[in-house]
Amino acid sequence: MNIDIAGTSLELLPERAAFWRERSTLFVADTHWGKAAAFRAHSIPVPYGTTDNDLARLSAAIGKTNCRRIVLLGDALHAREGRAKKTFAAVAEWRARHADVEVVLVRGNHDRRAGDPPEELGIRCVDAPLYEAPFVFLHHPVASTQGYSLAGHTHPAVKLRGRGLQRATLPCFFFTPTVATLPAFGSFCGNAVISPEAGDRVYAVAGDEIVAIPTVY
Amino acid sequence: MNAWFASRGWKPFRFQREVWDAYANGESGLIHAATGTGKTYAAWLGPLLEWMTGDGETYPPLRVLWITPLRALVADTEQSLRTPLKDLNIPWRMESRTGDTRASIRAKQEKRLPTALVTTPESLALLLSRPEAQEQFSHLHLVIVDEWHELMGTKRGVLTELELARLRRLNPNLRTWGLSATLGNLDAAAATLLGDRAAGARMVRGVVPKTVRIDSLLPEHMDRFPWAGHLGVNMLPQVVAAIEEGATTLVFTNTRSQCEIWYQAILEAKPDWAGLIAIHHGSLERKLRDWVEDGLRAGTLRCVVCTSSLDLGVDFSPVDRVIQIGSPKGVARLLQRAGRSGHRPGVVSRITCVPTHAFELVEVCASRDAALAGAIESRFPVERPLDLLAQHAVTIALGGGFRADELLAEVRTTYAYRQVSDIEWAWVLDFITRGGEALRAYPEFQRVEVEDGVYRVTNRQIARRHLLSIGTIVADASIEVRYLSGGRLGSVEESFISRLRPGEHFFFAGKSLEFVRVHQMVAQVRKGHGEAGSVPRWDGARMALSSELADAVRERLDQARRGVFEGPEMRSVKPVLDTQAKLSAIPGRHELLIERVETSDGHHLFFYPFEGRLVHEGLAALFAWRLSRLRPITFSMAMNDYGVELLAPDPAPLEDALAAGLLSPAYLVDDIPASLNAAEMARRQFREIARIAGLTFTGYPGQNKSVRQMQASSGLLFDVFVKYDSGNLLIEQAHREVLERNLERSRLGQTLERLSHSEVRIMVIQRPSPLSFPILVDRTRHRLSSEKLADRIRRMTA
Repeated sequence: MNIDIAGTSLELLPERAAFWRERSTLFVADTHWGKAAAFRAHSIPVPYGTTDNDLARLSAAIGKTNCRRIVLLGDALHAREGRAKKTFAAVAEWRARHADVEVVLVRGNHDRRAGDPPEELGIRCVDAPLYEAPFVFLHHPVASTQGYSLAGHTHPAVKLRGRGLQRATLPCFFFTPTVATLPAFGSFCGNAVISPEAGDRVYAVAGDEIVAIPTVY
Repeated sequence: MNAWFASRGWKPFRFQREVWDAYANGESGLIHAATGTGKTYAAWLGPLLEWMTGDGETYPPLRVLWITPLRALVADTEQSLRTPLKDLNIPWRMESRTGDTRASIRAKQEKRLPTALVTTPESLALLLSRPEAQEQFSHLHLVIVDEWHELMGTKRGVLTELELARLRRLNPNLRTWGLSATLGNLDAAAATLLGDRAAGARMVRGVVPKTVRIDSLLPEHMDRFPWAGHLGVNMLPQVVAAIEEGATTLVFTNTRSQCEIWYQAILEAKPDWAGLIAIHHGSLERKLRDWVEDGLRAGTLRCVVCTSSLDLGVDFSPVDRVIQIGSPKGVARLLQRAGRSGHRPGVVSRITCVPTHAFELVEVCASRDAALAGAIESRFPVERPLDLLAQHAVTIALGGGFRADELLAEVRTTYAYRQVSDIEWAWVLDFITRGGEALRAYPEFQRVEVEDGVYRVTNRQIARRHLLSIGTIVADASIEVRYLSGGRLGSVEESFISRLRPGEHFFFAGKSLEFVRVHQMVAQVRKGHGEAGSVPRWDGARMALSSELADAVRERLDQARRGVFEGPEMRSVKPVLDTQAKLSAIPGRHELLIERVETSDGHHLFFYPFEGRLVHEGLAALFAWRLSRLRPITFSMAMNDYGVELLAPDPAPLEDALAAGLLSPAYLVDDIPASLNAAEMARRQFREIARIAGLTFTGYPGQNKSVRQMQASSGLLFDVFVKYDSGNLLIEQAHREVLERNLERSRLGQTLERLSHSEVRIMVIQRPSPLSFPILVDRTRHRLSSEKLADRIRRMTA
């Protein structure tokens, strides 16, 4: 689904990523690589597969968009304990498959504890914010005077109600007049329900589709 | 011993002598009787007689272990056990061991345990996790398990079974005696208590049940009495009058918030009772509860508003009247609570039920019928929970280690694990050593290590975390409430506090409090000015109507359908039943009533099987699943003890579904697990399993952020396991527990069998009937959809 924002347009993907065609850039927030590994290191037996599965989904988004660049909006790695060989091997293999794609990480709160991804992965790491008109890339969803903010951190989800006392909670893209928050990309992540106000725009990830959610209903 | 009894003006009962003789004879067994009938001394004096007539060793090592399900009962038990020791000059050391035990006493106990020890299943597990346990417990003569009926149907009961197996292995001559209230299945109670030694167990019946009087307070104006609700405060004047009649009254409520609300209401009605009435529930600070219990014993309190926290044990002789707010939902619970009054052999117990809505009058009547017929509920034992087996294996690995085949042989002597398979055992060992199949190649993971065939825990951090997670009680994230000056009040759920703004008022511990702030995981408050405020809610399971009581309710309704209204409650509720008959119909014993009604919310279907909430939860999932197979549709479901509601935006294909076998017991085994909602229920059930098996960890006191990063919700873990480790037996266990809980050992199957032979009566009605009303207003709902997610979302937001 294409939406107009800050004078340009973004394509929202059900893979939980946003594509900026004008600069051939894919935005992804909160991958939390190695979260399951961090649990295992604490002797909590979480099975393998979450990181592999997430990387496959990221590859699918790259395949769909043919992007030349990926901007990770923070929390790439979950924790220092999650810096497992096996996790990095999986990320390295994924990186090798898309060697021609530039990857930039705008550091988030988890990255500060967990440290940057190993250099050989070829991920350029910078502190937030990163300016690229009309946008500001950062991790915490705060407004900026320099441009429209693209952020992550909160793992937004939207709670819906419908006739027949239906309820549903879905991960979503959340656009306020000054900040866009992307859904958490990592599948081993919880989420937090947002309270949109008039003027905000919300797009829910409903399985393999993006559905626009009216914010006043 | 006879002289001692005589000195107190008593005479031993025949059943007490029978137990002493059986004990002397080396036998084990189960004593069952109502509370307050002398079970304690039946069990306790055997080993004292043995000591008096036998060895007379001066300071014997640990001989008698007394296990009680409630920490709150420990002090009282200790006191009543101490009396004969003192009177008979028996120089035994007698102590207790719980989470409240002082560090200095603990340290002494690490070196040497007293001759008699009172403890809980969780504290015993901790004692067994120490390497000294093998030596310390090897001289044990007797284990007494108090209130076994409370434990046996739960995972705490299974924990106790595992501990008993351990103790029997350390001392093959160990005798075990259980004390239980009357149950529908005493054989199972003995089987679970004694494991493979249950054959030849001595069953001793205590004195004849006491006379119990069950009556109720009737609403003055039935036309103004609500059809739904659970608080019942509109009955306040009658309740206050009833309290005035008695000297000391216990007012039982079914939930902690109801308890707080009733306490406030009574105090508002009778301000001059301040200081004479008190509140008691499980979330209050221990000191406050002790004060209340002492007041009850001394007879200085006129009334205590309480929850199940005062169901068990403790002897409050001055109590002469019990009031039950709302339906007791079960015959055993009703009799247990009734027994809190006149807590002495031979005295009449009286319980007065207060309906909170119209149909509870039928339930009160039905529970009297069932009590008269002696239809006491059964407690069904839990079958081989692998989460607990994993926890126990780590506990034993801490306590000096184990060999796999030896521990397997030991756990197979319990009832719960008598049929645990070699495959399941291998899976448990794999899970605790390597994290299970999915982690096979992961070297960093190590909880239990194997060296020369011995399983041990060597990592200290893992040991510490395990000790903090022992047990089976899943507590919600709770936060302590304290005055700014430091005085502790108790604890409430974190989610409640997070909704309060500073300066906002709330009621807790029977007081009006002003919320100040949260500081270092403590909610600080100051005294409020009596302003109106919210009352915390605690997320506890709602009690479900027992099948015995459900059957009696169906019978009473069948009578009403035939125009028979016997007893004051039935006569009182008659106008409401007349309305039901006029708007819809009163279901007969061999009918299934289905009501269809449209409201602004959508199209409702109500089914009335009258089988209790748990069975209805399973039925709702099954009906919704079968209906949704006919075409894409989304249901929201609600249920109570009488019926099930399926609500959809469009009319559901009811007639087609009935023709296609909506009520058929066939394919049940396939349909239930296939239903999407069964997965949702298993996901909820997994919360407890994940906690017991050590997958989630509530944390250390005052933990820092890096530990919090290691916490994930059990729901998230469940999803990850289902996707990436489908062979995980804990997931299978979650599904099994849902089936067992909802099927209640095939009660769901029996229900369908009954329904499929019932005459279906479909009533299309213009407005909700009295029967449907309580379900209709229930906003706790489950959901099931066969629509494509994106389509459903578009329709919801259109």
